[in-house]
Amino acid sequence: MSEEILFDCLHSQIVNYCLNVNKTAPESFTSQTQPPEKEKDLSTLEYIGYTTGYRLIERLTREVPRFKDELETMKFVCTDFWTAIFKKQVDNLRTNHQGVYVLQDNAFRFLTRISPGTKQLEHAPKYVAFTCGLIRGSLANLGISSTVTAEVQSIPSCKFHVQVSRN
Amino acid sequence: MSRQNTRLDQKKVNTELLTLAYGSFVTQILHDQNLNIDEVNKNLERIGYNIGLRLIEDFLSRTAAPRCLEMRETADRIQQAFRIYLNIQPAITNWSSSSDEFSLIFENNPLIDFVELPPEFSNLRYSAIICGCIRGALEMVQQEVQCFLVQDQLKSDSCTEIRVKFIRRLEDAIPAGED
Amino acid sequence: MINNLYIFDKYGNLLYYDEWNRPKKGEIKQEEEQKLMYGMLISIKSFVNRLSPTDTREGFLYYKTNKYALHYLETPSGLKFVMNTDVAAMNVREFLQQLYGKVWVEYVVRDPLWEPGTEVTSSLFKSKLDDFVKQSPIFGIRNI
Repeated sequence: MSEEILFDCLHSQIVNYCLNVNKTAPESFTSQTQPPEKEKDLSTLEYIGYTTGYRLIERLTREVPRFKDELETMKFVCTDFWTAIFKKQVDNLRTNHQGVYVLQDNAFRFLTRISPGTKQLEHAPKYVAFTCGLIRGSLANLGISSTVTAEVQSIPSCKFHVQVSRN
Repeated sequence: MSRQNTRLDQKKVNTELLTLAYGSFVTQILHDQNLNIDEVNKNLERIGYNIGLRLIEDFLSRTAAPRCLEMRETADRIQQAFRIYLNIQPAITNWSSSSDEFSLIFENNPLIDFVELPPEFSNLRYSAIICGCIRGALEMVQQEVQCFLVQDQLKSDSCTEIRVKFIRRLEDAIPAGED
Repeated sequence: MINNLYIFDKYGNLLYYDEWNRPKKGEIKQEEEQKLMYGMLISIKSFVNRLSPTDTREGFLYYKTNKYALHYLETPSGLKFVMNTDVAAMNVREFLQQLYGKVWVEYVVRDPLWEPGTEVTSSLFKSKLDDFVKQSPIFGIRNI
């Protein structure tokens, strides 16, 4: 698919930008109280994903009837929305019915062209952070506040953990 | 393929994902550069350039196009690339008399679909990523060009106009000691 | 039968090398062989174009000896794919063009961890290339 490569390219540029932008600051500027650089960079990436997801789902759900509950909303995000963006269905979707959802993709779009290997595995968090934000943002727009983390044990497979906040 | 299993229009999702992610990205860069618009413009152009370096290989392998010998061929290829990657067809016009400079005119530019620039960002070249992408792609096929926005719909122009100006043909590298 | 494959960038850097069926190893060091290979390609290319009666875009395509054939595909971006095969192998340039799109672009150009212009070390690329080469009809053909 021709549009796919364009977004993949943009995505890796976003990743590169977020991981390099703060590196120009002199080292003495990074004080003890600041979070480690890497985490900060990943949270920037996550935030770009969040605002993208928030606005995207808004536009996509205009013609879709309102969801009756959390489970239905989750199903929409993890099936329709996921399939449209990642070009394949999730391989596994589980919940404990207490606000934890685990979404597994065995060939995650942003990892499928990276070699499996320990050295590469260190880079994996960069390529899943945007998507964590994308999920969190889309859920937020649909009224579900959550925390989303990702776990990559072996490339190209990835597990996203969605923890719904209940307060 | 089982990719149709969604209630959503995939084409629309793709375009909007690209547009919105780019918008969020620009916002982040504006924030990081403390609203230093010149720096932001430079960043956007460079990001486009980096994309162009890779995208050209996809384009060449997909179309099996030979190397262009003159600018009119190059212009047609650029137009074709917009069709392939953004599903739009810019018009090619305003050739210079020496045929080394032309404009691409976009009636609608998908990148700016949901964008409105506040007045204080009037110098922001939001679509500079496209210029960078053209420059990077052409450099890979040994053409050095200048590429810049002439008209911008975000600034109440009626269309987006990108000017492409041929500078020189880059020489193929020859290993040391050979001729 | 496919013997080996060299991929050079436009500056003459060897980005990738692999071999499949090459019982007689070169008598020179691999690095030296690669340099000579690139030098020879540039010389052939330039001389072939000089001899051409009319202007040519593609120029040099392949040469053949009584034992093997060398096939050459240069993309407009200056990537050079060089494949040595047995003399009976057919349509090798088409094969290289497909390899360019389906393996090189897919697993090198689109690998976010690859820096353009650097040697390819991706094991994913290596294994996809291996599959691609081995499923090709050219791979199995032997000179009778």
